Amino acid sequence: MATNRSGAAQRPNGAPQTKVCQFKLVLLGESAVGKSSLVLRFVKGQFHEYQESTIGAAFLTQTVCLDDTTVKFEIWDTAGQERYHSLAPMYYRGAQAAIVVYDITNQDTFGRAKNWVKELQRQASPSIVIALAGNKSDLAAKRMVEFEEAQAYADENGLLFMETSAKTAMNVNDIFLAIANKLPKSEGAGAAGAGGARRLADGEQPRPSSCCK
Amino acid sequence: MSTSSVDEIPDQSKDLFTQDGVLLKNCVGRPVTDLNSIGMLCIVQNADGTKCVEWRPNDLITIDSDTQDQEWAVVNTVGRRQRTLSGNMTSDYATLRARIIKIPLEELKTFKVTRNNQQMQFSTKQGVWQTTFYFQHGNAEIFVAYLKNHVKTAKTRHDRNTYVVVEPNVESQVLNRSFAELDIFTENTTDVVWNLVSNFKQRPYETTLEAFSKLTDIVYYGNEGLNGKRDVSEEVADLLTKSMSAMEDATTITKNEEYEVVSVKPTLPPRPCIPRGTPLSTEKWDALQDKDGRITEVEGVKQLIFRGGVAHSIRQSVWKHLLDYYPWQMSHSEIRAHQKKKTEEYFSMKLQWRSMTEGQESRFSEYRDRKSLVEKDVNRTDRTHPFYAGDNNPNLVVLQDILMTYVMYNFDLGYVQGMSDILAPLLLLLGNEVDSFWCFVGFMEKIASNFDMDQAGMKHQLLQLQQLLMFASPDLAQHLAQKDSGNMYFCFRWLLVWFKREFSHIDIMRLWEVLWTGLPCANFHLLICVAILDAEKDVLISKDYGFTEILKHVNDLSMSLDVDRILSTAEGIYHQIVSAPHLNDQIRIILGMEPLNMANSAHSGNSDRQEAGTSRTQTNGNETRTNGNEHTGPFGQDIDEVMYQIGLDMNF
Repeated sequence: MATNRSGAAQRPNGAPQTKVCQFKLVLLGESAVGKSSLVLRFVKGQFHEYQESTIGAAFLTQTVCLDDTTVKFEIWDTAGQERYHSLAPMYYRGAQAAIVVYDITNQDTFGRAKNWVKELQRQASPSIVIALAGNKSDLAAKRMVEFEEAQAYADENGLLFMETSAKTAMNVNDIFLAIANKLPKSEGAGAAGAGGARRLADGEQPRPSSCCK
Repeated sequence: MSTSSVDEIPDQSKDLFTQDGVLLKNCVGRPVTDLNSIGMLCIVQNADGTKCVEWRPNDLITIDSDTQDQEWAVVNTVGRRQRTLSGNMTSDYATLRARIIKIPLEELKTFKVTRNNQQMQFSTKQGVWQTTFYFQHGNAEIFVAYLKNHVKTAKTRHDRNTYVVVEPNVESQVLNRSFAELDIFTENTTDVVWNLVSNFKQRPYETTLEAFSKLTDIVYYGNEGLNGKRDVSEEVADLLTKSMSAMEDATTITKNEEYEVVSVKPTLPPRPCIPRGTPLSTEKWDALQDKDGRITEVEGVKQLIFRGGVAHSIRQSVWKHLLDYYPWQMSHSEIRAHQKKKTEEYFSMKLQWRSMTEGQESRFSEYRDRKSLVEKDVNRTDRTHPFYAGDNNPNLVVLQDILMTYVMYNFDLGYVQGMSDILAPLLLLLGNEVDSFWCFVGFMEKIASNFDMDQAGMKHQLLQLQQLLMFASPDLAQHLAQKDSGNMYFCFRWLLVWFKREFSHIDIMRLWEVLWTGLPCANFHLLICVAILDAEKDVLISKDYGFTEILKHVNDLSMSLDVDRILSTAEGIYHQIVSAPHLNDQIRIILGMEPLNMANSAHSGNSDRQEAGTSRTQTNGNETRTNGNEHTGPFGQDIDEVMYQIGLDMNF
């Protein structure tokens, strides 16, 4: 799958001109819940058991093709430790989507995820699409956060929710696709995303066919 | 540095950003003697939270024998960071204050940059340019970038260089609240007035090209790129300012063309190519010690290490000295005693946490949190290296034990992500728990501020890096500023763990041991950054990367850098900088050199002011500061907020 700019032109199946939308997505969550691993699985199809901690931030892109639209994600992967919390607004500012990650084997990380959701609801763009990812679902034997509990919380807060496993790849593409589907792609709706309009306007060039202005 | 007397000053404002080398070219209502004076253009936050653009002539911050008291008074009133002093400072308060030009941001209507970033004009009235400044460095865009953090602007349709100030919007207010600790928007506006006053005396000045910047606040960028014609209002303004000046003095230079005469940009001398030396060898190391094992020629040893690093076979012993575990001048027998003492000390601290019961732990959340952080990171530190690879690797236990003991050694600092990266190569080399711990302590002494709770140390260094880059590679610095990357945030990882993630283990050992020498200057690690960036300059500029691409490009340099070439380049850049004729105090202070303005007064005045802004950093171990939490002097918070808030300066 094309990961570079102008996704439409590079679609492997040679599909002609589709709309290309570009969205900024940020990953948030407690340290060591698997944020980088989710991104790495999604973008590169890799998994490292001992993925090193993220210092500062990492930036990756991935393009997914929906029926009539190509969605390019600009993914910001952040450091999770509380010490680096003060840097977080820099990442989620202007983001159209966020994946808040917790570790299903660690109740504390679920609490922390809720705080992230709260912070995003309070301070990020009002139209941001938030997905909650209960990662490490391959470790269900050590589960500390019940699926139903998280699902109920997600429903209450209007979040997409999936349990994922970066290790087995379970639901990883799915959660990104679900986000892609939920993101506004029509011209009118897209403008609601706070940073969206501007980001696309001065984003990478040459800019693909216009949608999600 | 005490704050007490400063706190008593009624008008306690602080500089958020300052730019030296700015000439006043035009100002409505100013006598002609004021024009062409050099000074400092600042973004100032007043005590009530309002802000203004402020220009101060240089002579106001220089001690002048016949008006010393007054000068001091001014120094104090314009910025609480400047210095602490005693005595009467309020007597001529109003008069002195009037010599400064202030433009309250809330009154600012438009501003524009012209003449290739050399000139900036301000207006509080639509269509009339009331004040014009000339930037000797030709870097007005930096000032604009910072100014845009404090006012929301839009570009005019007609002129891409003209910014119209618009009302702050909702999102910025939300962001403001989210950083409540900044506490800068809490009070109402009362105080600010734009003094267009005329008792300013022009004085001789030294041309100093200094730009140290401090910034707080939320960032806002206007839209880029609207091309257009020159605004009619600009023409009107030019005419007006010309006529005003003409009225006062026919000889005043106000025509734009004239500015070219003084606009020669200083350039650095050619970069010398300095080859690396050979590593300090076993033979040489042995020869450097006297029969008892004392090393007296410490500086000489450090010079050798700086030149070529240390042969791997003797790294174990040399590092213990470099990291202040073994004092250089201890004899073998003294070292043995010292080692014994340090070993006991280590194990007593280790016992403290080892003997903690489960019950205790369950009631000690702060300890539990730290322990959990350590566990999470140890488990994923350098696991691809054979020394740490594989399940149940015993070296991971040692890593964990050292970090946990460090938590007890410095509980307040605790464990912060990045520390395991710092420790891993030490343990890998030394192989011994106690030695690794004490060497880790020594390393942490040098970089503890990297792990400040509020990121103050990191922000400060990023700021210094920006200043060095502006001096050494202005093209690149300007390009980065234009690409929302003037905050240098993309170098965060480099600085936090001293390039640990950028080099292989063997290369990082070389780089670290060179940096530990503290040679050839303070903050040489920042010149390493400059050297790496300088090598990437063409790519970064030609590809016109934006903030995200810059970060990605810089992250992706990892493991492709040549340590010896970079060290050589960094040293070359160091020599370029120090031999530059326009080397200024700002840069001198960053590099740990005595500021020239010290001559004016022993410990104070102008130089102190700069020191406050720029030198408060860890300097490769040359400073005694031991804990980042001490980072909160009277000047600390402002500068710390600077990069913190620049951190928000991302135009997504």
